Amino acid sequence: MDYISTTGEVLFFIIAVIFSVLIIEIYLYLHFKLYDKKYYFIISLLSFISFYLIIRAINIYNPKVLTFAIIWEVLFSYLCVYKVKGKNYIPYMLVSPAFIGLALLLMYPFIFEVYLSFTDLKLTTIMKWKQTGMLPFVGLKQYINVFRLPPLSETTFWQLFVRTVVWTFSNVFFHILGGFILALMLIEINKFKGIYRTFLVIPWAMPQVVAVLSLRGEFHSEYGFVNLMIKKLLSIFPFLSNLGISPVNWLSDHPLLTCTLINIWLGIPFMMVVILGGLQSISKSYYDAASIDGATYFQKLKYITLPLIKPVILPAVTLGTIWTFNNINVIYLVTGQAGGTERADILVSALYKAAFVYNRYSYSAAFAMIIFVILFLITTLYSKTIKVEQ
Amino acid sequence: MKKISVKHILIHIIILIAVVITTYPLIRIFSVSIRPGDRIISTDLSLIPDGASFISYIKLFKETHFIKWIFNSLLITLATSFIGVTLASTAAYAFSRFNFLGKKSGLSLLLLTQMIPAGMLILPLYLMIMKLNLINTYLGMIIAYSVSSLPFSIWILKGYYDTIPKSLEEAAKVDGANDISAFYKIILPLSTPALSIAFLFNFTTAWNEYLVARVVLYHPANYTWTLGLFELQGQFITQWGMFAAGSIIITIPVLVIFLYSSKWLISGLTLGSVKG
Repeated sequence: MDYISTTGEVLFFIIAVIFSVLIIEIYLYLHFKLYDKKYYFIISLLSFISFYLIIRAINIYNPKVLTFAIIWEVLFSYLCVYKVKGKNYIPYMLVSPAFIGLALLLMYPFIFEVYLSFTDLKLTTIMKWKQTGMLPFVGLKQYINVFRLPPLSETTFWQLFVRTVVWTFSNVFFHILGGFILALMLIEINKFKGIYRTFLVIPWAMPQVVAVLSLRGEFHSEYGFVNLMIKKLLSIFPFLSNLGISPVNWLSDHPLLTCTLINIWLGIPFMMVVILGGLQSISKSYYDAASIDGATYFQKLKYITLPLIKPVILPAVTLGTIWTFNNINVIYLVTGQAGGTERADILVSALYKAAFVYNRYSYSAAFAMIIFVILFLITTLYSKTIKVEQ
Repeated sequence: MKKISVKHILIHIIILIAVVITTYPLIRIFSVSIRPGDRIISTDLSLIPDGASFISYIKLFKETHFIKWIFNSLLITLATSFIGVTLASTAAYAFSRFNFLGKKSGLSLLLLTQMIPAGMLILPLYLMIMKLNLINTYLGMIIAYSVSSLPFSIWILKGYYDTIPKSLEEAAKVDGANDISAFYKIILPLSTPALSIAFLFNFTTAWNEYLVARVVLYHPANYTWTLGLFELQGQFITQWGMFAAGSIIITIPVLVIFLYSSKWLISGLTLGSVKG
């Protein structure tokens, strides 16, 4: 099984994609253009036959695909002849390749996952599914299992849920706070502003995998920078050890705290840039007027700055919440190696591990649907509050 | 002459501390990468270690598939970005210039797809790729990546096309161009900045991707660089030097490109959202 991929495959694939886009375009063009010809039904018939030959050739033929194709061809011909009538068809030709791609690689996987969550696919049944494509239907069993059986080896759904809330809230809070403070300070100074900004966005600019993995190394209990620094501080100020400060086994004892610290480091620059953009758009005259009235710095902050950058911060908070909620990368990269802990896992990273470490496919499909519903509720709630505020 | 106030000095000091915090990890990876072979794991904190050497870099190229990993990543990323941007550029044009039945629902469908968590689709995509027998191939990766940035690219490009005046195309049509040739002779050349932003976005998403690669690729010669670095750091702590060397080689060009294009990227983000 030591298969090594080649460049030729990729070139072949790109040519295949271009070719299929061409076929789609020709198919649509003929249907839209020749709607009023007497031989229109021949075009439908021909395209149907060629479709049949293609699915036979690439070996995805099954009766379901064929029925679907027949229904599609009839419906589409009806639309072309009686509705579109050769008018304004160009946008459909422009849009269809992208939407066919989205349908195949985004909608279909989503629907497939919904279907999967009502069946029983696991490591023992996967070979059978691969050969026959048949899956036993089990109803809502997987959904009940999500709450009954722990998604990982011992952490339960509700533990994961609470951890996710804590993780999301603390991360977004510190992202906004850090970004806001840095932006407020950057706007005050004139010298070296550009240089500072360049250096401050490095955590955002670095490839995330590199950043997380190298920071993970810095939290190593013996050779990591964090513990070395603590040891050095202790040797200079011995009284600190009385306050309970001592080197910590970050990765094994406080994995969630480690992940949070790493993610805060990663996320502040983005918020800083967004808030800085908002601050720069506030006119100086407001502040001058307030100064004449004798307002203090914090009064100006509260009554001028905060209300005026709200339209910038609210969408950033929404986006930040969704991103943090969905952040598998940081947690998996820190704890995902062999022998890694599960005490830092949040919902999404537990989902990834349930699917690919524990190989419980249908179970994780149901788990994914539940997470999707939670996220959907959060987003709609957020966008509603934003609309009310505005 | 402006007076130097205490406040400003304080601000500079605090920002400098923040700058140290943001840059220190990068500097430290660099110092680890040039440590001599016998002291890669040490409690040394100095930035330039005694007897600095490039032994880790040489070992990285000699003992691992590092060049192959970068090549794999480039190939996969370029192919997905090419497909993604091409499809997005035409679809966005239709959304920007034409009125047609289903335009609004199409646009909101694009937004809806953004609500689906990316982590959620990895499992069905993995099963699809497995069913197509594409596990451990470039094609599996390209299929999994190619449309993930499509909705976002369409929004960005639509926002940009909206800023190009319609009169340009009308003038071209008077001179005998049709809808399609007006698009690729006038609109496409004019929207190079937006196309570059969309390309860059597609590129960075696929370039930094790790989770799909983890489950699709398993032969070391097929790894992307993210997987390679993870393996280097994960298996034996003794490969810390090679990991650091690899990280530096990957990070420097990415940093340069990012800092060069960050203004573009940010304006692109706001462009898409404001105009939408």
